[in-house]
Amino acid sequence: MINLADLQGNILRGYTKKPHVRYLILEVVDRSAARLWLAASVSGRNGVPQITSGDWGENKPDTCFNIGLTYEGLCALGTPSASLKMFPNEFVEGMTARALKLGDVGASAPEKWPAPFNEPKRIHLIATIYAEKFEQLNEVQKRALPDEKAFRLLGTREGYNFPGDFVHFGYRDNITQPRFEGVHDPERYPDRQPRAPLGTVLLGHPTNLEGLMWRVPHPVALGHNGTFNAFRVLKQHVADFERYLDRAASYLLEHPQGYELLPRGEEEKIGKGPSRRAALREIVAANLCGRWRDGTPLALSADAPDPNVDLTDFDYVGVGDARCPHGAHIRRCNPRGGQIVQRIANNSRRLVRRGVPYGPPYNPDGPLYDPAKPYDGDEPERGLLGNFIGASLGAQFEAMSCDWLNLGLQDPRITGSNDPISGTNDPGTSWFDLPLKSGDTIRLHGLPEFVSTRGGAYTFLPSLKAIEYLGSPM
Amino acid sequence: MPSDEGVLDRLVDWVHTTDVFKCVASWTLVPYWARRTPVKPLPGGPHPSFQHGDNVQCMMNLIMPLKVKSPIGRAEAALAIAKNKDAIYAGLNNVGTVHFARFVIVGDNICMFSVYDGDFTNYIRDFIATIGEVFNEVVKLVEGGKKVIPCEKNVEAFIQWVHEHDLYQVPDTATDFLRDQEDLKGDRAVSPVDDDLTLLPRKLVLQLRANANISLGSGYRAYPGFSVAQVRKHLKLGW
Ligand code: HEM
Repeated sequence: MINLADLQGNILRGYTKKPHVRYLILEVVDRSAARLWLAASVSGRNGVPQITSGDWGENKPDTCFNIGLTYEGLCALGTPSASLKMFPNEFVEGMTARALKLGDVGASAPEKWPAPFNEPKRIHLIATIYAEKFEQLNEVQKRALPDEKAFRLLGTREGYNFPGDFVHFGYRDNITQPRFEGVHDPERYPDRQPRAPLGTVLLGHPTNLEGLMWRVPHPVALGHNGTFNAFRVLKQHVADFERYLDRAASYLLEHPQGYELLPRGEEEKIGKGPSRRAALREIVAANLCGRWRDGTPLALSADAPDPNVDLTDFDYVGVGDARCPHGAHIRRCNPRGGQIVQRIANNSRRLVRRGVPYGPPYNPDGPLYDPAKPYDGDEPERGLLGNFIGASLGAQFEAMSCDWLNLGLQDPRITGSNDPISGTNDPGTSWFDLPLKSGDTIRLHGLPEFVSTRGGAYTFLPSLKAIEYLGSPM
Repeated sequence: MPSDEGVLDRLVDWVHTTDVFKCVASWTLVPYWARRTPVKPLPGGPHPSFQHGDNVQCMMNLIMPLKVKSPIGRAEAALAIAKNKDAIYAGLNNVGTVHFARFVIVGDNICMFSVYDGDFTNYIRDFIATIGEVFNEVVKLVEGGKKVIPCEKNVEAFIQWVHEHDLYQVPDTATDFLRDQEDLKGDRAVSPVDDDLTLLPRKLVLQLRANANISLGSGYRAYPGFSVAQVRKHLKLGW
């Protein structure tokens, strides 16, 4: 059994009751002061906010506080070079050096990222505050950064969990997370996937690839029970997304096989009234994601959203295989037990996801999307502050991003296409196949890039012991 | 067109084609240049690209110097491959992204050439997970191999080691080669790239001094790139 008190809490917990989230992006000013700060953060001494661990005991914390360190951060803290050498390449190089692998090209290229992400080498530590009330964010920030002795604040990013776990584009998110061996997890929905070994998310434990272990940086106190995070600021082009659904619906209205997707007279089942266009828009949205916007998985209910079906208890074999597009976002990210090219990779690239939307909702006064609202005008910046956590950035986040999301290598029917939601699409070449009951497909073209990267960093999420180690006097 | 080439120009153009000059240059001029302008070997493997077509049918060209440089050492390597033929086939089947793999002994090197789809590290990692023990048996015969086996317990170091033995693939255009050379400087790289083509021969000689074995280009295909699974599916072989 894992000692939850040694893990940072955000690894295995979603902090669902704390919808306000602020990221403080920090640079070490003075090594000794920063180390003292880390030492104090373990127990919450000297006013420094206490790091939230995975074991809350009797008292739920009012606010939560967690940290991640970049490679430059570890260097700035004076981590011995023998230890630094043991960190994996991708972490050492940092997110910006991996841009091509991650699809950070064009509008997403690191050269276009705004401050503070335009100076990635200065980003040393990213601290995250989670709170129930907005004011608490300021209060914790003040305690974390009373002055500039230890850290300089380079910038902040802030998000808010919309009620019902909806994200921009109007989908319900925060449904699927891996369930881990040896971790009691009463909150999570059951699913048909094998429990993930702890090494999927923590260094020093067996991984999903039999016999394989990731390197644990020495000393053990530093590496053991740590993990890595890909923090991403993902801008979502919501107006473009809605506009694309319009275009796709128009195309399907004219398409000779459009009735196979939606038999005449069944429009109302989709839940958008009698309009055929409105219903077809929803069908496209559902297919792009693999879930209806309310979360209903297509693998269980391909014809219409259904609040009574299970959200996670499905697989892409048998009926589920035919119902969910092979290229749908959730299927690309997690093919579950379905057939894939890299046979040994099923279940091996799983990620813990902690994300929160930023920017105003598309339509603050009503449902997230209101077709009556004109699209034009400048869209304010909005998107997702995403954290993709796993014990190997290379084997999980990067492998998923390059081979699965952006090359579609896992299935010859999607190879050469990008993920319809988060992929680096070019409208000149992009395509997406909608499956029909007859076994045919209707191919949609012209998908633009709906999500562009606006910043990010690879961080190491040290265990509590490691924070203590990093905070010890040199 | 009248030429305004002088006698000296003609001499300079001619002199480097003579055997005497090549011999003298190899022993004196090149080492002198190399000392004055140290050049790091360029990293191996395909060029990072975001084009789908560039990310299927990628080449790996491993040249691994054998520890025992004699017919006995070469025979050991030949046996290690022969003994594991079935495991290699099983690995190809389970990894699913390799078009073919060839093992060749050249001089006192065991070479592995393969054509694979997608990201290099995923390819090697998946192979470690499927037939790591075959890698171990081959790599233990290779200089410097001991420190990265068993590969299952040294995944990151092993992948890095393989990457270091993978040949640099010289791009097809001179400007891309100059760009690679500039990228080696990391943060000190200048932009726009110094693309003075008159420096090309010199830079190529210096790179080939640091990097004795290279691949000329990234493989020339007679048809656009397809993945293994696309080919298998199209030919109805199952994937
Ligand atoms: C702004 C960009 C993105 C949006 C709007 C988005 C949206 C969603 C939604 C609505 C779901 C379904 C909810 C759930 O199953 O919990 C989902 C699932 C998922 N997403 Fe994303 N996503 C985005 C980017 C990414 C990226 C960049 C990755 C990985 C590199 C990713 C990985 C996943 C994974 C692993 C799942 C769970 C799939 C499963 O296990 O069934 N997402 N995403």
